[in-house]
Amino acid sequence: MASISSIRNFSLSRTYDKISRKVSRVVLNNIGSREKLPTISNPKNLRIIDWIGKKLSSAENRLILGASALLSQPFIDASNKNVDNETRHYSICRTIAKIIAGTLTGYSIRKLCIKSVDAFTKYAHEIKPDARFKKLRTFLTPTLKCTADELQQYKNTMGTIAALGVMIFSNFLIDAPLTKGLTNWFTKLGGVRNDESK
Amino acid sequence: MMNPSKIFENFKNAILTKYGPNPAKMLIYTGVLGWFLSSAAQVVAIIVNDKIPKEQKMFLIPQEIGDGAINVISFFCVTSVIKNFASRLVSSGKLASLKTRQFLTDSGINIKTKNGWKVPKNFDFSKFNIKNMMNFDQIKDDYNSFKNGVDVVAMTIGSILSCNIITPVLRNKYAAKRQQRNLAEMSRISNEKIKYPKGISMDTYIKMTSVKYPSSSGLKI
Repeated sequence: MASISSIRNFSLSRTYDKISRKVSRVVLNNIGSREKLPTISNPKNLRIIDWIGKKLSSAENRLILGASALLSQPFIDASNKNVDNETRHYSICRTIAKIIAGTLTGYSIRKLCIKSVDAFTKYAHEIKPDARFKKLRTFLTPTLKCTADELQQYKNTMGTIAALGVMIFSNFLIDAPLTKGLTNWFTKLGGVRNDESK
Repeated sequence: MMNPSKIFENFKNAILTKYGPNPAKMLIYTGVLGWFLSSAAQVVAIIVNDKIPKEQKMFLIPQEIGDGAINVISFFCVTSVIKNFASRLVSSGKLASLKTRQFLTDSGINIKTKNGWKVPKNFDFSKFNIKNMMNFDQIKDDYNSFKNGVDVVAMTIGSILSCNIITPVLRNKYAAKRQQRNLAEMSRISNEKIKYPKGISMDTYIKMTSVKYPSSSGLKI
């Protein structure tokens, strides 16, 4: 049985590789012009791209996703004709509440965790003589040599991993009650009433 | 048995080597985990919210489960594909910074024209990778910083597309179907439980109750 499934998996992954190589060849060779290759030459644009790659952590990414979610999701819910008016109202209110609560807590926790990781990822020469918890300052510092940019990405990743750990609790303790409170508040503002109160 | 401090050291170094040079990859994996955790908490929030009527919960709970599942799937399928495609555009030299383009021209891969740069007629982008070039070290820093930036931009655009457009449309369709099914089931069960008085048929009794309490037998959607 094991050998049959491994053969099946093997041929499946081979087929997937074959297809993705074919798609990649077709797409890469046919999208855009071969006679005028797109080149980013404006120094300002290059600086922006460089800045995004280096500075945009998961916290800022969550903020961007939250802001764009507020601009799209409530309208998608509002145009959902598959449900009755009352359900649609609840759905819009809950979506807005969820985006606000999720973005606020998601951004704050990620940012705090990345900052905390940064404080404990120091090299010996970076630790000030009057710093507190001196011994712990190198606790998260990797032993491998790396560039400053790679170290920054490492701090972002470690901070995000720590944030995910914190979010297991905060999602239940902050996110969910905050979403509930905001949903009820928006529902009240929007004038939606329960069946019993009609 | 391995020393715990050695395990932790290996873990730190693995994170550094895996995600240090590739921040967009980290954003995809942690994003998927984040959505999963968030959806689990939101389902609990709906269940314990006693101000939301049962009928609406029947839409909101599947909506949230659908949201989480579709988010994770579309994150991997859409965001990952867009990010990988953007990554390949840069590594194949199709999209490049000025410095990299000049390097490719000097290496004979690109040809300078009046309008910009082009490739020879039979050049296959899918078989070419700048990183495999002999003198890649000359532009390594410029290439890496440009590629990381493009990866993160593509990943962010992919996330917006998958989480804020594809997911809400699909989850609403899924949740509406679930709500219809659940309400129909609820209505069937409540009809089965009705004890009709002697002298009239079950059908007549159901018709009578539906006239008296229209919302109890009719579907909301």
